[in-house]
Amino acid sequence: MLLEKSLIEEIIAKSLATGADFAEVYTEDRISSGIMLIGGHVEKANSAKTFGVGLRLAQGLFSVYGYTNSKNPDDLLKLASDLSKSFSADKKTVPVKLGKIEVGTHHKVKINPRDVKQETKVALMQRAYKAAKEYDEVIQQVSVNLSDWVQNVEIANSLGRYVTEERVRIRFYVSAIAGKDGMMQTGGEGPGTAQGYEYFDTECNVEETAIKAAKTAKTMLFADECPSGVMAVILNNEFGGVIFHEACGHSLEATSVSKNASVFCGKLGTVVASPIVNAIDDGTIENGWGSANFDDEGYPQQRRVLIENGVLKTYMVDLLNTRRMDHKPTGSSRRESYKFAPTSRMSNTFIDNGTSTFEEIIKATEYGLFAAKMGGGSVNPGNGDFNFSVSEGYMVRNGKIAEPVRGASLVGNGADILFKIDMIANNLERARGMCGSASGSIPADVGQPTLRVHSITVGGKKGAK
Amino acid sequence: MNLDLLFQKAKQKGIEDVQAFLSHKNELSIEVFNGDLDKYEISDSSSLIVRGIYQGKFGTFVTEVMDDSIIDLIIDNMIANAKIIDSPDEAIIYAGDKKYEIVEGLFEEALEKKDAAEKIAAVKELDGLLHKADPRVSIAETMYSETTRTVLLQNTKGLKLYNKVNSAYLGAQVIVKDEADQRTGFDLDITNDFADFNLSELADRIVKEGIDALGAKPIASNNYEIILRRDALAILLATFQNVFSADAVQKGLSLLKGKLSETIGSELVTIVDDPFLKKSSSSRSFDDEGCATKYKELIKNGVLTTYLHNLNTAKKDGLSTTGNGFSGSVSFINMKMISGNDTMEAMLASIKDGLLITNLQGSHAGANTVSGDFSLQASGFVIKDGKIGAPVALVTVAGNFISLLKDIVAVGDDSKTSFYGVTCPSVKVKSMPVSGL
Repeated sequence: MLLEKSLIEEIIAKSLATGADFAEVYTEDRISSGIMLIGGHVEKANSAKTFGVGLRLAQGLFSVYGYTNSKNPDDLLKLASDLSKSFSADKKTVPVKLGKIEVGTHHKVKINPRDVKQETKVALMQRAYKAAKEYDEVIQQVSVNLSDWVQNVEIANSLGRYVTEERVRIRFYVSAIAGKDGMMQTGGEGPGTAQGYEYFDTECNVEETAIKAAKTAKTMLFADECPSGVMAVILNNEFGGVIFHEACGHSLEATSVSKNASVFCGKLGTVVASPIVNAIDDGTIENGWGSANFDDEGYPQQRRVLIENGVLKTYMVDLLNTRRMDHKPTGSSRRESYKFAPTSRMSNTFIDNGTSTFEEIIKATEYGLFAAKMGGGSVNPGNGDFNFSVSEGYMVRNGKIAEPVRGASLVGNGADILFKIDMIANNLERARGMCGSASGSIPADVGQPTLRVHSITVGGKKGAK
Repeated sequence: MNLDLLFQKAKQKGIEDVQAFLSHKNELSIEVFNGDLDKYEISDSSSLIVRGIYQGKFGTFVTEVMDDSIIDLIIDNMIANAKIIDSPDEAIIYAGDKKYEIVEGLFEEALEKKDAAEKIAAVKELDGLLHKADPRVSIAETMYSETTRTVLLQNTKGLKLYNKVNSAYLGAQVIVKDEADQRTGFDLDITNDFADFNLSELADRIVKEGIDALGAKPIASNNYEIILRRDALAILLATFQNVFSADAVQKGLSLLKGKLSETIGSELVTIVDDPFLKKSSSSRSFDDEGCATKYKELIKNGVLTTYLHNLNTAKKDGLSTTGNGFSGSVSFINMKMISGNDTMEAMLASIKDGLLITNLQGSHAGANTVSGDFSLQASGFVIKDGKIGAPVALVTVAGNFISLLKDIVAVGDDSKTSFYGVTCPSVKVKSMPVSGL
């Protein structure tokens, strides 16, 4: 137990004394570790202990938030009292009684990172280093990062919610640099999980991960500059899903919808995409990178069908934003840490399988770009304009994958691109990412099958065809 | 926490030297949405970074729990971390410099003392001005944020340094709409003197950015003469800041590797690191290693003269630190490009068919700091016969950082510090490929 139940009750009571109609106490304790290996040597090894309490009060649409590192009851009650000064009703006493704490147990962990020796982690990293370095003589530098954290949260609110869970995350990142004649190109792979270190015995093969990174770097080293212009783009599965995440997902979060700042406002029940598009945000996937038992307001995570056969079915809405919107909460509230007030965020977001195959899509494309691996991107939620980079690309000519190209970026508009998806394959895979937004940086999965956008602006250095 | 007790216990466990870096932060942030107070946040937090040398290697632990009960955990973790480090880097804890510059104006008590109600009133006033400025303003999110940070650096070599800084920003994002289009305008001003905020000027600037962009469209793909407005250039410079780090260079992660004393930019280009820049909350007299900071030219008239160093990278290159050791690596304090003599009007007048770029996006993904290649989403305005024309959006500009520096043919006189922490003027670039229609 991070804070005594009686203290939490006292904090909530104090928070409500001046007219707030909602109060929430979020307590977090985290132990994290990060190791960086460059050129075969461990350069840095850090670990950290994080602890803090975030307190949120609301009255109608107005909310206040405060946080502190202190565990001291006097400091916490003072924070409640300081925040409650934002409200000015007559003093009243609100009895607050929390029930038994509910423990989330859906995501099982076998080998807790806290029980793994630093030396064991380094051995995994060295294996990856060796595999990437030995892949090809053009691989000049390899860096490997391994970070993990164990976060314990307790969330309680004035409506009687009182829950706790332990969230475990591991991220492994291999970056390879290929170089020749003064030219350098990079390739990276970043698998991750919400399991324990059993991940490396089951799903994650460190050598394969490293070789993938090295292969991208080498391929891009010998790639030509990408031509620019408007063309068909085939977005590969896994991290290709970043297109939906950036271009559409963010605009379906209550953060922008509730303020009428999204292009998808007022579009529930209407056609927002090509009829072959089904999109889902599922925070319940077992041990999913973006999963949890509870959202960061303490309500169960859910599976949300966002778009069904092209029709918009739901937004992602946190509890407090339901006050601005005529919409039920969807268990979508998330935050990086106690330092952030939570808001509606994505979890594991993906476009579902279609009926084509990968081969059919390539074969059906006369001229275009195959974006085998995507980099990151960003979107302006005000108008839906987005951009993202292609980290490994190939030209497609006459229904065949042709020469590799580098330096491509894709520019478009979120509302527009969904209608331009004209083929979806049946090879859905998800990939890990860190998503940064109003409530901080959080683990989020993106995903999709390979799909084709029939026309989109491709930026590249080579100039128009 | 009793630091003396920490130091003493660490010594007993075989840790030769220890440095504690204690920072404490108070924050206040206020948001107003369409006229109503929407968010009010206060916080009080501390963190302690402890680095100790164990058998010649650094072990590091960061804690937010500050009572003495955590001391044993800190020490055990430092040792466990030090044990796995096998890089040949030498671990150094610094005894201090003879002299540290005094940086004035970093902390203004008046800002902290100012009543929260007055700050809220100012945010509401700005919000009102935004809505009044133009009927096409449909949504405004107006924000104020203030931070006070103290830092205490203390080590077993007897060094003890202290620093206190406060800073605030006020700004907004607006969405403007007409029948055919929807655009955003965003800007903010940073200072620690509340009197510096000019609400009506700020409101006009933010709204103008959105309104001017209404109806923006891509232009035809081609190579164009380009003016990078100071805020767009700041984004690009900020993106490539890390290439000047000797740490990145030594690890083969920088495109500037092997380029010392070489010409990497036009002779109009001089880029410095100015730790004593006035009105910058990043300005300081010592870095995280306790070394005195100094003013230095990185690129002088196009020639790369030095990298940025910390104790370790300097030792490897047989040099002295430049006082840029931050967060365990190397970084700029205040990156500044020295301004030139050309006015924006003169630069515009020299272009027949070109593009004025006012914003760049996607720098975290579309720019490669190892190769220097970038391909970024751009917006701005057509330049036609020396004059600003129609707004442009959804195009990309592609290039390479070094080629760009070399292709700068005019440097403006309009230098300003952007919220990316980079101070620079607008520049004219010979030619860049733009991909649009």
